[in-house]
Amino acid sequence: MGRYIIRRLLWTVFIVLLASILTFLIFFVLPAGDPALRFAGKQPTEELIAQARVNLGLDKSLPQQYWLFLSRLIGGDEYGWPGLGYSFHTRDAVLPELIDRSRVTGSIIVGGALMWMVIGVPVGVISALKRKTFWDRGLMGICLFFISAPVFWLALLSLLIFWKHLGWLPGTGYVPFAQNPGQWFAHLILPWCILALLYAAIYARLVRANMIDVVSEDYIRTAWAKGLSPRKVVMHHELRPALAPIIALFAIDLGALVGGTIVTETVFNMQGLGNWLLIAANNNDLPVTMAVTVVVAAAVCILTLIADVLLAIIDPRVRLQ
Amino acid sequence: MTSRRKTLALLGSVALVGAVGVAACGSDDKSSDTNGGDTATTAQGGGSGSETRFMSDDAKKGGTYRIATPDLGFTGGFDPSAEYLGWAWGLQQMLLNRGLVGYRHVGGTAGTEPMADLAEELPEGENDNTVWTFKIRKGVKWSPPLNREVTSKDIVYAFERMATPSVGAQYANYVQPIKGFKEMADGKAKTISGIETPDDHTITFTLTEPTPDFLFRLAMPATAPIPPEVGKCHTKAGEYGRYVLGTGPYMIKGADKLNISSCATQKPIAGFNPTDGITFVRNPNYDASLDDPEQRSAMPDSIDISVNTNEKDVFDKIQAGELEEAAGLSVPPDVARKYTTDDSLKDRFRSNPEDSTNYLTMNLTTPPFDDIHVRKAANFIVDKTALQRAWGGKLYGDVTGHTIPPVLLDGDNSIDPYATEGSAGDLAKAQEEMKQSAYDTDKDGMCDAGPCKGVLYLNRNYGAYAKLGPIVIDNFAKIGIQLDAKELPTGPAYETLQTVKNQVPLASNARWGKDYPDATTFAVLFDGRNIIPTGNTNYSLVGITPDQAKKLGVTLPKDGVPSVDADMDKCRKTGGEERIACWKEFDTKVMTEVVPWVPYMNALHTNLLGPAVTQWDFDQDSGESSLAHVAVDPGLQK
Repeated sequence: MGRYIIRRLLWTVFIVLLASILTFLIFFVLPAGDPALRFAGKQPTEELIAQARVNLGLDKSLPQQYWLFLSRLIGGDEYGWPGLGYSFHTRDAVLPELIDRSRVTGSIIVGGALMWMVIGVPVGVISALKRKTFWDRGLMGICLFFISAPVFWLALLSLLIFWKHLGWLPGTGYVPFAQNPGQWFAHLILPWCILALLYAAIYARLVRANMIDVVSEDYIRTAWAKGLSPRKVVMHHELRPALAPIIALFAIDLGALVGGTIVTETVFNMQGLGNWLLIAANNNDLPVTMAVTVVVAAAVCILTLIADVLLAIIDPRVRLQ
Repeated sequence: MTSRRKTLALLGSVALVGAVGVAACGSDDKSSDTNGGDTATTAQGGGSGSETRFMSDDAKKGGTYRIATPDLGFTGGFDPSAEYLGWAWGLQQMLLNRGLVGYRHVGGTAGTEPMADLAEELPEGENDNTVWTFKIRKGVKWSPPLNREVTSKDIVYAFERMATPSVGAQYANYVQPIKGFKEMADGKAKTISGIETPDDHTITFTLTEPTPDFLFRLAMPATAPIPPEVGKCHTKAGEYGRYVLGTGPYMIKGADKLNISSCATQKPIAGFNPTDGITFVRNPNYDASLDDPEQRSAMPDSIDISVNTNEKDVFDKIQAGELEEAAGLSVPPDVARKYTTDDSLKDRFRSNPEDSTNYLTMNLTTPPFDDIHVRKAANFIVDKTALQRAWGGKLYGDVTGHTIPPVLLDGDNSIDPYATEGSAGDLAKAQEEMKQSAYDTDKDGMCDAGPCKGVLYLNRNYGAYAKLGPIVIDNFAKIGIQLDAKELPTGPAYETLQTVKNQVPLASNARWGKDYPDATTFAVLFDGRNIIPTGNTNYSLVGITPDQAKKLGVTLPKDGVPSVDADMDKCRKTGGEERIACWKEFDTKVMTEVVPWVPYMNALHTNLLGPAVTQWDFDQDSGESSLAHVAVDPGLQK
C-alpha cells in the first residue's frame, strides 16, 4: 500500500502541474482582458502600460512567467511558502488570504458534507428497503425537489424565512470560530443545510440505486439463506458494497467544492475560495486564479487518494495495485 | 455669482478668495429641497448650506456607521499614490488623510469649490499660474504610531512616490506640469526640482506651463502627505495601501499597532483586508480645531465597511436597520419605488448627479461614421428616454444632449443641438440629416451604401448595458444602419474598444466620470495627442493626425478628422467665468462640428439610508456619500 500511496502522490503533483499549466494558458489565450490595462488606470499612457507590465511580470515570455510561478510555488516568496505572489486586483499577498478563505470554505464544506452524508445515506437505505412504498416514493420525491431547486433560490428562501421573518437564525456573514464559536455555528447552519440538501438528495438516490442493485446479488441470497439477522445483512452485506461508489464520489465532490461553493458563499456572504475565484476571474487576477486552481486540484487528488484507500478497507473486493 | 463661479474665479487671475471667504460663500442655511416625509430635516451643524443634506433634529456624535459593498473594488490597493477609484478617494480625503486642498464634501456646486485643508489658505497662482506657494497648518499630527507633526517633506515624498515607476501611480499625468517631475519619473533625477520646501511649513511648486486648475489637482489624494518612514518600505504598486497612515479624523483600525521601528517589523494594519472590508476609528491625534467643520463633521466614532456579496441581503439589511447604507451598488428599482412612493420613507432615498456621462461613441475614421451627417443622424434617431429607462428611469439618470456633465458647466444643461420631443428620437430630422450623407445614395433618408450593413456595435453583456443593445439596434435600423452587436464582459469590452487597430465603429460599453470638478477631465477624451495603440480612451479618434493614423494602421477619411486640441488648450489657460464659457463653447463645438458621441444620460448616484442614519450628505467631488458628514443613532440600530 505504501508504494501505491507514493505513486499516487507523485501523480497528484503531475495533475496539479497540469492543471496550473492549463489555467495559465487559458488565462492568456481566452479574451479575458489585459491586466496591465486595468493596472495602468483609467487614463493610461504607453509608459504606464509598459510599467504595469513590468510590475505584474507580464513583460516576460509565457514560459518565463510560468517558470517564475513554479519556482516561487516550490521555493516560496517574500510572503512565505508556498509562494503564490500578490493579487493583481487587491495588490495584496495571496497566501494569507488563501489561508483565511480556506478556513471559511473548509467550515462550509466539512459541516455541509457531514450533514449530507448523515441525511443522504439513511434516506437512501430506507428508500431501498421500503422500495415502491409510500415512504420510498415520498422520500425520492423530496429528493427530486431538492435536486431540481436552484441553490440560490433555496438559499434566498431560507434567509427570508429563518432570518427575516422568524428571526431564528442570524443573517449572512461569517464569524470566525476563534472569535465566537456560538456565532460561527449559528451563521453556518443555513449554508450547511442548503449545501447538504442538494447533495443529500443526490446521495440518497445513489445509495438507493446501489442498494437495489446489491440486494439481487447471489451473496445476499446466501446471507439470507445462512439465517443472518436482517440488521447484519443490511449493514454488512448490502450497505458496505453499496457505499463503495458513494465514497469515491464523496471524495471528488468534496474536492470540487473547495473552489465550487460559489453560490452558497455569494448568497450567504461568506468570503471563501469559490467567491474569491469568481472575483479573480472577473478581474483578470492571474495569481489568485492560479492559487485557487492549485488548491482545488490538489484537494481533489488527495481526497480521491484517501477515498481509494478507504474503499480498499471497506470493500474486500477492491485491492490497491 | 453662484458658488461654482466663485470657484472658477479663484482659478483665474482676477480674484483671490481665501479660506475664510470661501467658507462664507456657503454659509446660507437651507432645508433640503429633496427632503420630505416625517423626519424633520434641517441644514444645521456644519453649516455648509448643502442642498443635498439629510438631517434629523437629533444628529449626535458617536456610534458606528455601517456600510456594505459587494467588493471594495480598489484599483490601486488603497495606496493613495496608485488608487484611482472615486469612492476610495472619498475615504482618503474625508476620513483618512488631509491634503493641501480639500472640498466641503457636500452635494451640488457648493461641493466643487476647492478649500484650504492642510494649507492655511489657498494661494493665488503667481507668474501666470506657474508658481504656487502654500503655507501648511502648524500642529497637524500624524495618527499613531507616528505621532509627529506633518511637514512639507511629507508632501514632497508623496510627489516623489508618484514619480517612482514601481509605485504604479495611475494619474501622475495631472502633476506632470511640475518642473522636474518627468525627469525624476524617467530616472534622470533623484528629486523633483520644481518642488521647494524653504521650511517645514512652506512648499512651493513651480510649473512648466500655466495651470489655472492646479488647486483641483492638489485636492487629489495622491498629492496628500505620506510619511517617508512608512512609505519607503512599500514601493511595490499598491502595497502601501495596507499601511496607510493619515492626519484626518479617522485612522484604519489597528494603525496604532503598526510597528514602524523598521521595514521588517511592519505588518499589514489589521483593520483593512481588501476582500473583507475596512474599519475606520477615531484618530486620537486629530485636532478638530485645526480642521474646518464645513469639510468634516466626523460624527460617528467609527465607520465600518464590510464586503457583502449578496446585493439583496445588503438592501434588506439597510431596511431592517442592520446597515446604514451601501456602497458600489445602485438602489434596486423595486426598493427605489417603495421608498419614493411612501412619504414616510421618501427622504431615505437619495439621488444625486455623480458627474458622469453615458454615451454611444462613434469612430470618426470608420464608415459610415466617418461622415458627420451620419453621426448627426445618429444623434437625432436615438431614443434617449428608452436608454434612460434601460438604466432604471429618471431616478437613475438625467437625459443629456452634450458631453460635459452640467455641474462642471455651472449647472448648465442647455446644450442640446439634437433635441427631440420627449428625447425619444425624431425620424424625420434624422432622415433629413442622412440625406446629406454620401452613404445615402438615393437620398431617401436611409443609409443604403455597403458600409451601412453589418456595422460592428460593441457593448457589455450584462445588467443595464445588455438592455441598451436592442434599443440601439432598433434605433439605427430606422435610418438604414444594420448593426452587428458584439457583447463582451467589462474587461474584454474595454480592451477591444481601447485597441485602436480594432477600429470599433460604434460602442456603448464605456462611460466617463470626472476626475476633479473641471471640464478638462472630460476634454481629455477628445485630445488627439492622447491617442495610443492600446489603452486608448479617445475612442472616436478625434484629432488623429495623418502621422498617427499611419503609425496605428488607421485609414483616414479623405477630409481628415476634425481636431479640438487647440480649443481645449485655450480653455485650459483660462480662469473664472471665462473658463466656464470657454468649456461651454468647446462642448457645443464638439457636439456640432465633431459629433463623436451620442451622449444620452448623466447618471445619478442613488443611496438608500437605514433608519438609524440621522445625518447624511452627498460628496460632489467623489460622486459618493459624504462620510465626512454622516451621523448615526446607535439606539435605532439593529
